[in-house]
Order: sequence, then structure tokens, then C-alpha cells
Amino acid sequence: MLSIKNLHASVEGKEILKGINLEIKAGEVHAIMGPNGSGKSTLSQVLAGNDAFEVTSGEVTLNGDNLLDLETEERAREGIFLAFQYPVEIPGVSNLQFLRTAVNAMRKHRGEEEMNAAEFMKLAKEVSKQVDLDPAFLKRGVNEGFSGGEKKRNEIMQALLLQPKLAILDETDSGLDIDALKVVSDGVNALRSEDRAILMVTHYQRLLNHIVPDYVHVLAGGKIIKSGGRELALELEEKGYGWLGIKDEDTSN
Amino acid sequence: MKSVPTLSSAFLHPAGQSLPEPLLALRKQRASALVDMPLPTRKTENWKYSSKYLKLADDMAISLPAEGKGGNSLAVPGYKVVFNNGVMIPEASEYPDLNGIIIQSFSDLDEDDAKAVSLQLGSTLDHDQAQFARVNGARFEDGLFIRLAPGAVLDQPLFVIHETTADASGSAYPRIYVEAGANSQMTLVEEYISSGDASALVNTVTEFNLADGANITSIRLNMEGENVQHIGATGVLQQRSSRFESHCVGFGGPLRRHDLQVRLEGEGAETKLNGVVVTQGKQHYDNHTSIDHVAAHCNSEETYRNIAADQSHAIFNGRIHIHQDAQKSNADMNNKNLLLSNGAEIDTKPELEIYADDVKCAHGATIGQLDETSVFYLVSRGIGRRQANVLLTMAFINELVQQIPVEAVRETAQARLNDFFEQTFQEA
Ligand SMILES: Nc1ncnc2c1ncn2[C@@H]1O[C@H](COP(=O)(O)OP(=O)(O)OP(=O)(O)O)[C@@H](O)[C@H]1O
Ligand SMILES: [Mg+2]
Repeated sequence: MLSIKNLHASVEGKEILKGINLEIKAGEVHAIMGPNGSGKSTLSQVLAGNDAFEVTSGEVTLNGDNLLDLETEERAREGIFLAFQYPVEIPGVSNLQFLRTAVNAMRKHRGEEEMNAAEFMKLAKEVSKQVDLDPAFLKRGVNEGFSGGEKKRNEIMQALLLQPKLAILDETDSGLDIDALKVVSDGVNALRSEDRAILMVTHYQRLLNHIVPDYVHVLAGGKIIKSGGRELALELEEKGYGWLGIKDEDTSN
Repeated sequence: MKSVPTLSSAFLHPAGQSLPEPLLALRKQRASALVDMPLPTRKTENWKYSSKYLKLADDMAISLPAEGKGGNSLAVPGYKVVFNNGVMIPEASEYPDLNGIIIQSFSDLDEDDAKAVSLQLGSTLDHDQAQFARVNGARFEDGLFIRLAPGAVLDQPLFVIHETTADASGSAYPRIYVEAGANSQMTLVEEYISSGDASALVNTVTEFNLADGANITSIRLNMEGENVQHIGATGVLQQRSSRFESHCVGFGGPLRRHDLQVRLEGEGAETKLNGVVVTQGKQHYDNHTSIDHVAAHCNSEETYRNIAADQSHAIFNGRIHIHQDAQKSNADMNNKNLLLSNGAEIDTKPELEIYADDVKCAHGATIGQLDETSVFYLVSRGIGRRQANVLLTMAFINELVQQIPVEAVRETAQARLNDFFEQTFQEA
């Protein structure tokens, strides 16, 4: 589904990604772990199309098509979804209006009829229940004044509404209490299917108990330095990153 | 030395004679005082950003003939009074005959009322700051007089549709005077619209005189076409414990100027002024507001937002004057601005004059651009860039639009603003 070859990217002239290679097939769940500042969010943002980051070389294809040629909104319509590490607050746009606009943009792209306000409200209420967010959150500004955990649940709610092909979850587990972690994991597991892939960035093995990955990768210094099965996460939990030969100074750029 | 330009004498000749005698006399007297009235230039402090947009040709001095039956007037809920080129069109108007409430055109006033009105007309305004209100005083052909007896409550909003029809060049001088008795209440909606495409000047004056405890809501929508230069002034006098609330929504044009002056003369008076301005292309809009805290224990709260796109130019000048005896005044002024292009210009200036020592006065002004991170967040959900821009731009003023207390107006404003931004971001 997603194929990343020798991807280099920089921000403000500084190279952050230094040759990423990664293949993700439909139905798979991949976890990316790695020290702070190693480039995990950069990779996520580059895949979603944030043009604050410049791709200097390499190739990314989604089902064979060149992803890097597409605008951000086109990538989303082709099925890329990024749950932000830091979801953005947008006062003045209600969450409901935002979600409906997004869902209708997708439907339009697929040639489906747009949902009217009443239909959408019904759907939104169901999905907000699924992530244990009070429907009152629909009326508030997008993420406005949401707690950290509420923002993360709002991200998962969007994933559930938009039904992406590839969901990239950037630390969607951080800042969640135990119950919320369960809710969010259930949401992600509900997304799992044969024709969908999930790429999740996390620092914690505990998430991987809920959402069992097929592969675990370690990203350090802008490169994937080790890949393995889920047992790699356990090993990292136990030993830290040191045993992989990463010196502290190397971990961030 | 270059001489200062003055108002052409062509502008001093009113056409219509249908007003009652006391008002005709007043108009004549005011016209004679206007001979050689200096026109604002770049050096005129209160017009320094706007004088270059003022283009008065002699053929615009002619009074536009009142015509039609208000055919273009909007369908509105509630009561309505339709003016065409500053003259009331009774056939198109529908308003109640309620006890304690007089709604009448100036032309229909009897001698006594006309006399009373002539003594009050202009009393709410500082004409040195709103120079063009003088021109209106010399030129008005008709006007709307509203008198609310003490305790009278108008049960529905009154829409005053001021349509300018400019099939040939000319000008119109709409005028409204509201005398709100003690504890009376009403909501007045002014809609300025236009048809025809000859160059025209619309020069308006609206006055509100609030007795003790009166409660007036004023909504003003400026939606005239690209051929219309609009210079308007609103004067508000507030006595004890009265409350005035204003919502102005303005769309740019070749010249748009609104002076809003509020004098808090009685203790415990409250005023709330909200304003939204949007400009695009080469449009202009200039809001000058002025709040005088004359009496103690008054509150004023002012929130204006400007959004300027392309090469347009928006101006906000907010003056707050707290007089010596106005202790315990509470004044809060806030102006936020959104620049949608590097070629656009926004000028914002607070003018605070505080002569009392025990007051609370807060003010803030910001100028910013659309937040790229927010745009990215929206487009990453499949929302098109144009729509994302429109959503975020609407978000900037949403809080103010939502406060417009008449649903039909709120919806009209919202739809028009949305269309305006769709156009703004067309090429983006
Ligand atoms: N806009 C930016 N300007 C400058 N530097 C940036 C920018 N964005 C990211 N960086 C730098 O790029 C490096 C990688 O950042 P990134 O956010 O991808 O790390 P991360 O692996 O997600 O870390 P964490 O685990 O802390 O979330 C860091 O050194 C960061 O400071
Ligand atoms: Mg990160």
C-alpha cells in the first residue's frame, strides 16, 4: 500500500529525515518507536503533506501512485489520515461544522451525495459515543479548550468518520489515562481491516498490548535503524535505546 | 501655497421642497454655513488614510430622484420602512400604528413635530469629527422620525431599507432620528443597498437619543455596490441607565466611511459596539468610533474586526474619552485584524483620553494572518484549500456575527460574508 524509498526531508535547511525505507501492506499495523527528536513526527507530517517540510530526495507511493505529487487535501481524499501529536485548536469553527465539511469533502470526492446537517448529526453522535466524548464537544470550537486526552479522542473520532486507508497515529496514546487508552485503542482496533493499514508512532509498549503491531521499527537520527516483530518493543522497554548503539547525542538531530 | 480644496457649491443646492417649513428653514440655514467647507485631505487627521478615496465630481451633487416602489427591497420579517434615494416610499413600507410609537417620514410631520425635530436634529453629533454630517444637514430631502413614548416597546425589529438607485450620477442623503423615551425599547435595522451603476454618493446620518432606561439595539448593514461612495454618521446620546447596542457589518467599496459617536451622559449607561468589516480588490472601509464617558459609572465595550484581502484598505480608529467626572468608568476596546494578502493594508489606532483617575480602561489591537498550521489541519482532513481559507476567515468574525440578535439579519450577514470570502479565495 505505502512504499517509502530513501526519503530525505529537511526543515529550514536542516536535514531531519536521512534516508527512510519502509514498506507497509494493506492489513498491517506498524509501530515506530524512537528517541525524542529523531524525526517520527517529521515523517508523519511529510506523509500527510505538510509543506513546512521539504522533501529533498526519495520516493513515496500509495498503491503505486506518487504520493509526493499530491496536495495535502488530495492525499487525504486518497485515504491518508494523520492523527496529530498536537491537534490544532481552531476557535470560531465548530467541531461539528469541521467534521461535516471534512466528511462531505470526502463523499464528494467519491461521488457520493453530501450529508445534510441532520443526517450528519446522527452519525457524529454515534461516533462520539464510540470514543466516549460527550456530544457537547461537537458544538465547541475545534479542539478549543479540549484537554490533552479529549483532543486525542477527537482525532480518533475523525479517523472513524473519515475511514482512511492508511491511518498514521502520531503519539495518539500519549497523555491518555488508562480508561482513555482503552477507548482510543478500541477505536483504532475498530479501524483495523484487511484493506487498511495503520502506522503508529509511540513511546510506550503499553499501547502495543492493546493494538498488537505486526512490525516494530526504531527511528533514530532520521533513519530506521532496526526493525522487528512486536517482541522488539518489549526489548526496547527493557533495555532502552542504548543497546542499539545510539549515543545520546545522535538521537536527535 | 496650494489652497485647500473646498466642497463644490453644486453640493449646496437641495432639490426637493416637500419638507415642512421648519425643516426647510433648518436645511437652508445649514447650507449657508457650508459655503467653502474644506474637504478632507491627507493632512486632515481624521481622514488621513481615507481622503484619497474620496472622489466628489460635480455631477454627483445632483439629488438622485426618488423612484420606484422599492421594488428591490428585501423581504424582511417584522416591520419595514423603505427609502429610495433618501425619500420614503410609503407604498413599499409596512409598519404598525401602535400606541405610544410614532414612525413617520419627515415630509409627513405636522408643523409642531417638524419644529421639535428641527431643534434636535444634529444634536447627538460632534460635527467637527463627522464633517459630512453637515452636508447631510444641508441636503436631506426626507427622513425617518421615530418617537417612542416612555415605556413603549416595539415588539418586532423595524427594518429601514435605504436603497440608492443610481441610473445617472448623483447623491442621496438618508436621515433617521430616533427619540427613545424613558424605558422604551426597540431594534432598528438599517440596510444600505444600491442598484444602477452610475457613480453616486450616499451621505447618511442616523441619530439615537436615549432617555433614562431606554434600550435600543441598532444593526447596520452596508452592502452598496462598487459605484457608491458611502459616508455615514451615527450619533448616540445616552441618559441614565440606558442601554445601546450596535452591530455594524460593512462590505468594502470605493469609499466607505462610518463615524459612530456615543455620549454616555447619564450614570449607569451602557453601550456595546460590535463591528465587522471586510474588503477585497481595491476596496476601502474606514470606521471611526468615539465614546465619550461624560457621566460616572458607565460601561462601554467595543469589539471591531477587519479583514482585508488583495490590495484593499481597512481602517479602524477608536477614540475613548473619559471625562473628569466620569469616575468608575469601565471601557473596553478591542480591535483585531486579519490581513489576507501582502498587498492589503490595515490601519488601526486607539485614541484614549482619560481625565478621571478611578477608571478601568482596557484596549488591544492586533494584526495577523491566517494561521498556516490551522490551514494544514483542515486540508489534511480532505477539506479543499479554498474552503479551509473561507472557514478560517469566517472563524475570525464568527463570534461577532453570532451576536447579531435578529436571526434573519444574522443569516443574511453570514451568507453574504461567506459569498464574499468564496470570491476572495477564488484564485487561491
Ligand atoms: N518547524 C521546525 N523548525 C525547526 N526544527 C524543526 C521543526 N520541526 C521539527 N524540527 C526539528 O526536527 C527534529 C525532529 O523532530 P520531530 O518532531 O520529527 O521528532 P519526534 O521524533 O517526533 O520527537 P518526539 O518524540 O519528541 O515527538 C527535532 O530536532 C526538531 O526540533
Ligand atoms: Mg513527535
